[in-house]
Amino acid sequence: MATKVKMLPDDRRVPMCIGEPLDSHTKRENEYGTLTDPKYLYQVKTMDAEKANKKPIMDTPPYYITLMTYLNYLILIILGHIRDFFGIRFQKNSHRDIMEHDGYAPWYSKFESFYVRRLKMRIDDCFSRPTTGVPGRFITCVERVSHDHNDYYTFPGNTQTCLNLSSYNYLGFAESEGECTNAALKIVDKYGVQSGGSRSQIGTSDLQVMTERMIADFVGKEDAMIFSMGYSTNANFFNAFLDSKCLVISDELNHTSIRTGVRLSGAAVRTFKHGEMDLLEKLIRDQIVLGQPKTNRPWKKILICVEGLYSMEGTLCNLPKLIELKKKYKCYLFVDEAHSIGAMGPTGRGVSEIFGVNPKDIDILMGTFTKSFGAAGGYIACDKWIIDRLRLDMTTPNYSEPTPPPVLAQIIASLETIIGKINPGEGTERLQRIAFNSRYLRLGLQRLGFIVYGNADSPVIPMLLYCPSKMPAFSRMMLQRKIAVVVVAYPATPLIESRVRFCMSSSLTKDDLDYLLRHVSEVGDKLFLKLNSGKSSIDNKVQRWDIEEVIRRTPEDCKDNKYFVN
Amino acid sequence: MSEHMAVPTAIPIPSAMISTSSAAWFYLQQGLSRLPGGHHVISYIEKATQDDPYRTAVEASLILYGIYYYLSKPQQKKGLQSNRPNLTKQEIDSLIDEWEPEPLVVPPVNDKETAERYWRLAKIPIVENHGISKYIDFTRDNKKESFENVFNLSSNNFLALSETPEVLEVAKETIRVYGVGACGPAGFYGNQDVHYNLEYTLAEFFGTEACCLYGQDFAVSSSVIPAFTKRGDVIVADDQVSLAVQNALQLSRSTVYYFQHNNMESLEELLEQLNESEKKEKLPAIPRKFIVTEGIFHNSGDIAPLPELVQLKQKYKYRLFVDEMMSLGILGATGRGLPEHFNMDRSTSIDITVGSMATAFGSSGGFVLGDTFMSEYQHIGSNAYCFSASLPAYTTTVVDKTLQIMDNDNSIVQNLQKLSRKMFYFFNSRVQLNEFFILKSSEFSPVVHLELKESFRNSKFNYTRDSLFSELLNLQKRKISDVFIEPYENEEMFLQEIVDAILVNHNILISRHTIVLKQETLPIVPSLRISCTAAMTEEELLNACENIVTTMVRLCTE
Repeated sequence: MATKVKMLPDDRRVPMCIGEPLDSHTKRENEYGTLTDPKYLYQVKTMDAEKANKKPIMDTPPYYITLMTYLNYLILIILGHIRDFFGIRFQKNSHRDIMEHDGYAPWYSKFESFYVRRLKMRIDDCFSRPTTGVPGRFITCVERVSHDHNDYYTFPGNTQTCLNLSSYNYLGFAESEGECTNAALKIVDKYGVQSGGSRSQIGTSDLQVMTERMIADFVGKEDAMIFSMGYSTNANFFNAFLDSKCLVISDELNHTSIRTGVRLSGAAVRTFKHGEMDLLEKLIRDQIVLGQPKTNRPWKKILICVEGLYSMEGTLCNLPKLIELKKKYKCYLFVDEAHSIGAMGPTGRGVSEIFGVNPKDIDILMGTFTKSFGAAGGYIACDKWIIDRLRLDMTTPNYSEPTPPPVLAQIIASLETIIGKINPGEGTERLQRIAFNSRYLRLGLQRLGFIVYGNADSPVIPMLLYCPSKMPAFSRMMLQRKIAVVVVAYPATPLIESRVRFCMSSSLTKDDLDYLLRHVSEVGDKLFLKLNSGKSSIDNKVQRWDIEEVIRRTPEDCKDNKYFVN
Repeated sequence: MSEHMAVPTAIPIPSAMISTSSAAWFYLQQGLSRLPGGHHVISYIEKATQDDPYRTAVEASLILYGIYYYLSKPQQKKGLQSNRPNLTKQEIDSLIDEWEPEPLVVPPVNDKETAERYWRLAKIPIVENHGISKYIDFTRDNKKESFENVFNLSSNNFLALSETPEVLEVAKETIRVYGVGACGPAGFYGNQDVHYNLEYTLAEFFGTEACCLYGQDFAVSSSVIPAFTKRGDVIVADDQVSLAVQNALQLSRSTVYYFQHNNMESLEELLEQLNESEKKEKLPAIPRKFIVTEGIFHNSGDIAPLPELVQLKQKYKYRLFVDEMMSLGILGATGRGLPEHFNMDRSTSIDITVGSMATAFGSSGGFVLGDTFMSEYQHIGSNAYCFSASLPAYTTTVVDKTLQIMDNDNSIVQNLQKLSRKMFYFFNSRVQLNEFFILKSSEFSPVVHLELKESFRNSKFNYTRDSLFSELLNLQKRKISDVFIEPYENEEMFLQEIVDAILVNHNILISRHTIVLKQETLPIVPSLRISCTAAMTEEELLNACENIVTTMVRLCTE
């Protein structure tokens, strides 16, 4: 209307980049590479008890690397403060965001936003890269040119097709053709794209009920509920049954959604060091004896919250031990399987299957559809009487939008593929491919000399970079080599453990991984990243294999558990 | 030794202290001289003592206290549970054995209680095929009841654009190019060109600098408010905001004050008081201050008085947060929401607007409109944005197409407004109905909320809004997990009877306003919720309303 609003200028906008339609075969290959040889498959087995109880061995860098990393941060922080000091005095215009004006406080204070403005901003070009099309085997990145130290970007309008190691497309269900897509298209005609209102009013369709039934059967629980957003599943879950007289014992690395949800419930929280079961037991014993602070009354209930697969570490929770503790001390157990459901276990049923435990022993199973299923949303699976009560008491089914029909169709179709109802054999192949790919890349990187965290079968493969300045270097160099990777740093990781996170996918072929290994090895040499001390390798020796040797020997070796310490 | 401990004559020191400190120094010196570089430390201490012996004493006691503090138990340091009892292992074991937790959720005890609570589950319609259409088929209670071709007055698909073939074609076209899921959060390759472009389009359409997309409408408020508030900030909120905003206020860490629903005198009085007390406090920096309200209220369907709010916010330097989930696409001549309704400008009147793509825009997800600084900060500061996967691509193109249609032709919005008004005046003019029910909504809202009149509620169910709220607060304060307030349950059942009677007798679906009482932190009472969509004709709608009123009056007089 009257006032002119300052809009983003046209040249700084991400353009629509849908390219020329490709022929069907190329498109298919770009989204999901055909398996080149059946020997590049691996059937995951249930873990034996001894291995399950072994603590993961984390390799550590030499002391000077730690020192350099701290120094690196120190320099960045000092420079940041100097720039703030002068900027606020002499460049008022470009620091408007952190200054008071007309009696209004800034949106965020100088201190709160320091990390974002002065540290993250320097490497902002490594994040939020716009993409287009399907995030399958290859991802199409929209090219952008950074100006004024990432202050703004312009877009020449080109795209760049990169090997995709960044999307959570574990089983390769991000596709624009095939059974899942067809199912989604069919549903658009039949059910439309909207759900019309909350679940308890009009948002429950027969499709929702069917999906819930299928999920419950798949994960091995009596009943399940589904939600339209994974984050919100957790963030609005705990207030349905916890209050300030309840205690949540939480792994220190749990996802923000769990923390938000627990905070909203008002429950007391105690954290234990990631994966340390002895400390957990001690904490539980202490808490049962001590009870609530001040009043010393016993806790009403104690809920242990863990994740199945930790997305930044690639480590698994020690499920057999957790179940043992939970039974011994009458606690309840919540397992967030956001990353492990579908992607892990002999038939994709997540961590309970990997450890060979009965899912009935876990009180609450939570997971998401964004990752392995190529859809969106999350689920909660419990006993039927619990779900019934949750349907009454949870906010999401009563106030929020439900999962839209095309997403439901995608979930159903991908789930049916995994269990072999659609295209028998395809689901198994997808599972065996991601298992092989994960093991191959993990062992390959270790042999090349990199420090890699996590479990042998984890599709998340974090590779440590340490120095914050190596993050942008690695990310940019990989992009030049047409590989899209995700770099993560504090606060998602401990301060000094900046890392790159390779997310494995069934859609990648062995050749793709060889391409990746060669380039990572080369960049690793340049950036001095091969810091493996041998602590987490099988013979306790420093690993510095030649790349050709790695590619020649690893495909066979990676199928053998003896080469993996964790 | 005494030369090291030279003391100014003016201040006498007890000889005992001198001799003990000399002895301590003697042994310390011996110990230090054995360490590499120890003589540097010795000469430093000697010099310092010569200059100022008291400083050495203070430093020594600080070091001793530091060591003591470091060695003391961490639990005691935090002061969390300092009264740790001294127990033997057997005592601990028996305490652990004795501990009996409550069940995870309150279990159904017997059949009667199950019936009293769980009837709600059996009343949820399970819709077949298009759940958003004008006429729907559905079953209830495990297919025990089944209904066909029911006139649908409970959907949020207000503009009914999501059913048009061109919109569906766009959705399919997008799925054919992008697949369904985005498979990643916005920061890590999850945001596609379509996401960015919808953000530009939404910002442009509503006249703000920028926009930010979220995965679910309900999760937006509770993420965006806490992103910009911390301890010491001030929030002044309407006392009838919906649960999504209540959750946001709870997570905000700020001091929250409430003003009476849509009462501008109450708000001004409160702002004036806060202004006074802020002046007295002399804070080092201005705190962030927000006024929080809704466009069309979820719980009642009435409208916030934007002009007065803007005036007050400017006078007292507050920022205005408006949850417009139910008003974007509905209010204003072209559906641009609350500011257009009052002929105002969004960018200068509202600082944070929260909208839903799952209501009028016929897709799914939520969004936040505002200035560039605010929007960019959400990318890292707002948890539901930063830690959550991007929306499926097709949801964005559907909204894009819907906005295009609305931009080209505002007749759909106009039609919806006409229907809303008709519906409002229809219910408003029914004298018989108004003996029992009170119409809470504004004439512009496509959702009509009908609440029992306070006097009727009191005589029939023997409770009032205030008594319900105080009982609820009481239960919440005592942390009773099982909130069961019988008169409230009875009223809910009564309203469901009305819904069922309308359904069975006239094949029309309306709904109770579904709330979870135990989660609510503000006064609320049950209500009936009737919503119209632009796909209806006036005749259909008014006929249905006539039937609804007849049934309602009949059940109330019985």
